[in-house]
Amino acid sequence: MALTSPAPSRSLGAFRRPVEATGWKSWVFTVDHKRIGIMYGAVALFFFLVGGTEALLIRLQLAAPDNTVLGAGLYNEMFTMHATTMVFLFVMPLAAAFANYLLPLQIGARDVAFPRLNALSFWIFLFGGIFINTSWFLGGAADGGWFMYSPNSSGLFSPSHGVDFWVLGLQIVGIASLLSSINLIVTVLNMRAPGMKLMRMPVFTWMVLVVQFLLLFALPVITVALFLLSFQRNFGASFFDVDKGADPLLWQHLFWIFGHPEVYIIILPSFGIISEVLPTFSRKPLFGYKFVVFSGATIGFVGWGVWAHHMFASGMGPVSVAAFSVATMLIAIPTGVKICNWTLTMWGGKLWFTSAMLFAIGMIVLFTIGGLSGVTHAVATADTQQTDTYHIVAHFHYVIVGGAVMGLFAGFYYWWPKIFGKALNERLGKWNFWLMFIGINFTFGPMHVLGMQGQPRRMVVWPDKLTGEGYFDLAFWNEVATWGAFTIATGVSVFLWNVWYTHRKAEVAPLDPWDARTLEWMTASPPKAHNFDAIPNVHALDELFHRKYEEVDTDKGVRLKKTSTAEEVLAAEEARGDAHIHLPSPSYWPIVLAFGLPIIAYGIIFNLIMAFVGAAIVLLGAFGWVLEPSVAEPGDYESPSDDHHMKELDPVG
Amino acid sequence: MLVKPSRRAAAALAGLGLLLVGCAKDAPQDTFRPAGENARDIDGLQRPLFYVAGVVGLIVFAFIGYAMWKFRDRGQEIPEQSHGNPKLEIVLTVLPAVILAAFAVPAVSQVFALDKSDNECVINVTGQQWWWEYDYEKGSTCGGVEIPESIVTAGELVIPADTPVLLRITSRDVIHSFWIPRLNGKRDAVPGRLHTLRMHADEPGIYVGQCTEFCGLSHARMRQAAVALDTADFQAWVDNQLAPYQAPAEGTLAAEGESEYAAQCSRCHQVNGLTDDSGNPVLAEPDQSVLAGAAPNLTNLMTRTAFAGWTFDLISDECRDRLWNEPSETFGDVYLQGVWMYTPADATTPACFNELNLREWLRNPPAMKPMYTDPDKLEATDGLTRGMPNLNLTDEQIEVLVAYLLERK
Repeated sequence: MALTSPAPSRSLGAFRRPVEATGWKSWVFTVDHKRIGIMYGAVALFFFLVGGTEALLIRLQLAAPDNTVLGAGLYNEMFTMHATTMVFLFVMPLAAAFANYLLPLQIGARDVAFPRLNALSFWIFLFGGIFINTSWFLGGAADGGWFMYSPNSSGLFSPSHGVDFWVLGLQIVGIASLLSSINLIVTVLNMRAPGMKLMRMPVFTWMVLVVQFLLLFALPVITVALFLLSFQRNFGASFFDVDKGADPLLWQHLFWIFGHPEVYIIILPSFGIISEVLPTFSRKPLFGYKFVVFSGATIGFVGWGVWAHHMFASGMGPVSVAAFSVATMLIAIPTGVKICNWTLTMWGGKLWFTSAMLFAIGMIVLFTIGGLSGVTHAVATADTQQTDTYHIVAHFHYVIVGGAVMGLFAGFYYWWPKIFGKALNERLGKWNFWLMFIGINFTFGPMHVLGMQGQPRRMVVWPDKLTGEGYFDLAFWNEVATWGAFTIATGVSVFLWNVWYTHRKAEVAPLDPWDARTLEWMTASPPKAHNFDAIPNVHALDELFHRKYEEVDTDKGVRLKKTSTAEEVLAAEEARGDAHIHLPSPSYWPIVLAFGLPIIAYGIIFNLIMAFVGAAIVLLGAFGWVLEPSVAEPGDYESPSDDHHMKELDPVG
Repeated sequence: MLVKPSRRAAAALAGLGLLLVGCAKDAPQDTFRPAGENARDIDGLQRPLFYVAGVVGLIVFAFIGYAMWKFRDRGQEIPEQSHGNPKLEIVLTVLPAVILAAFAVPAVSQVFALDKSDNECVINVTGQQWWWEYDYEKGSTCGGVEIPESIVTAGELVIPADTPVLLRITSRDVIHSFWIPRLNGKRDAVPGRLHTLRMHADEPGIYVGQCTEFCGLSHARMRQAAVALDTADFQAWVDNQLAPYQAPAEGTLAAEGESEYAAQCSRCHQVNGLTDDSGNPVLAEPDQSVLAGAAPNLTNLMTRTAFAGWTFDLISDECRDRLWNEPSETFGDVYLQGVWMYTPADATTPACFNELNLREWLRNPPAMKPMYTDPDKLEATDGLTRGMPNLNLTDEQIEVLVAYLLERK
């Protein structure tokens, strides 16, 4: 798969490329998908703690009726930023972290298709995330809810700069996701190892591919909506101005045409992760691989036809309501298929309950609860009772925390030894799992009751006179939910402790600690900068498994026997390693270009001159990018893994 | 490590059990206690949906739990590497489709059924940051009762019981959502659009609700209630709303309050029939001060049980509890007495009046309910407020205003 290219020449470029292979510069200027993946993960976890702190403050405020921990204005900012942070700055980038790190490894590639673009995505995301959060210190964060319904989001009704920060910040973060989606689509479609047919790709890669297409088509919609809103707020346009004839439902449609595919953008990577974890720890292939892949793709398509189920009470008319109600029920079918397939993957297997496996099974259980309550909202008239109550909060937290986040944690425990060479501690992992699993049920389980008892969302106070009494005393269940939230927080703390503990104490993990099945385990842990000494030839789904196990005739009949270890498989691959490996060189320009974007945004909010400065930086970055030599001079750059291969650097990127 | 499946199953069941058990004891906004035909129709579809979802969940968890126990690693051979079973897959795809289809048919027909319009009683409902206004149009009839003059009230929606009522809902500023859980689902109030929502209460009583579309700063303090009265009581209510203005007796505190009201409050709050010294009607001009252009009509304030977005009680906690639990036969009689409910016939002061709440409100409204009234922070709205500003009233002014308002019954 080596790309053909003209002979490296410095004459084409005005600037030298960085060459550092160690130290901070090797991270800041890296274009290595693995380092970028790790940085995505670290930043996403940081924002997880930010969003989690916001969640705990919200739960403290709601722990008792008529509570006064947060004032009304601060509370509104808190729930707006909690959702914004968790969706755009935690779950999406954490999935991007796994995708960045694992996708090239899973398809037998040496990097993504556009490595510099990949670095650009990361830095744009980081600066965008920081930009949004600086609003806390510059006059207050956005207070219109993450859905930012018009006209409440207009300058008239929300005059602080919070909404501007939100709009421009999401615009910036959206650029990162859009670039990344193009990058990963091209990577999957063009850079698969020989023999890695589409239907031999690991399910994680498949689900990530579906997600990138969703991003590719969904992000332009929110981009348009955000442009309309920011032009209204900053430049006097009137797209959502009712007095001038605008219909506020326009924003809702635009937002949810993006917003509902966004739900699948959040959940599908975790579907992929547990579709890797369950087969490995069941010692058996995924049940119905094709059904899982196609149901994932079906969800990707049907997910475009259900957005207005967020609007059953909006007054859009009975025909629309009925149509979207039925479409929403339809999407339950491919989702149900997946739950059945995961369960049947375990059926007849030889189950190994590692922390990763527990998180995966926990994900199935919790996601099933979220999915079933979701079906109850699909019945539109029932939803007019449920919508905007805590019943909905329960539903989507079971889906996002119970589904997406549990899946991502399964990914942590499963791939940690691959990424860092050391396995997370299993004992702490089980504490981590049980605290989170129990905590999630105690936090979000009671919310089903709260919602059906009539407690709406987004209310800073709940009056004592409306709590009722007896088994469904809302004060009691709110208190339980708050204790549950702190239980989740304890579980997350155990995870952080585990990370620290592992890096300080743990021994180097075996090459193939889980007896895994897919290509990413067919190389060193952590992988060398170039991933594979030799690009593997793929013969089957679960390639590594088939290289390790063979059917052997025994006196009891044909049995699967492990005929070679992962070390032996790897040794055989390394023996035929390529003499010349092409790797992209690091680059100064992605971080420079990305740095200009928040400056433009600050400029739009505070002073347009600053916006021109930011634009100049972006231009400078783009020119530097173009004028940079396509490669470093031969010998300039040695990859961090100091092996015997001579590096001849490739112009990719 | 082996996980005991019983523990997992127990945890899963606990979560599901919460979802399954719907019946409530006493929360006033319980969605499982329908009190009218619309909410009852929804309940009739929603309950079986919860039961079926619960059973499906239990089956899935039972399978998972059984698989975890049965196929745990006991040193068995590496299992056969089977890639699935297409027939089983198809069955497992069709089965949920059939269950869903069974719900889709009634679900769709109910959408259209609950969208039908009735015209026995049409009431205009307008949302505004952060209260609801109700407008009974002049010349209309409502459950057989004539509305000879326009009636404008706030917070508490009075409707005839056992009568199909149609609300025509809109908003003057941002999106709100009208919800009385025991009578029907929600419907958004969207500026520039007119939406309808059916209301029906079987019996007289009070049914509480809450604005459920996030509408800014004091969204949590935008509440409402529907009060259903039988026909005779509803007629009495209408008559009282349209009764001629009764000026306070000369020399009373209330009489001082009247001029104080005209000076301080009537800029925004209308009291029908109030006249100035030369006999001209005093007309409120809330559009001069308030962004959305309206403020609650206070002509019959003391017939309501709460104020300021139906958030703060005008009656004491004990009276409220009694009223909310009043049997439907006696409810109307009690309700029509307003703050004078449960007051002995020979008493001179109302037993239920929550004077403290009203005084506190008059002293400093934004302290009780966050609103955008700080004159230094109103550039975006050209000085117009959203909500009631602090008028810096003295104790004496508050005293006479309370006395005056107490007579607006």
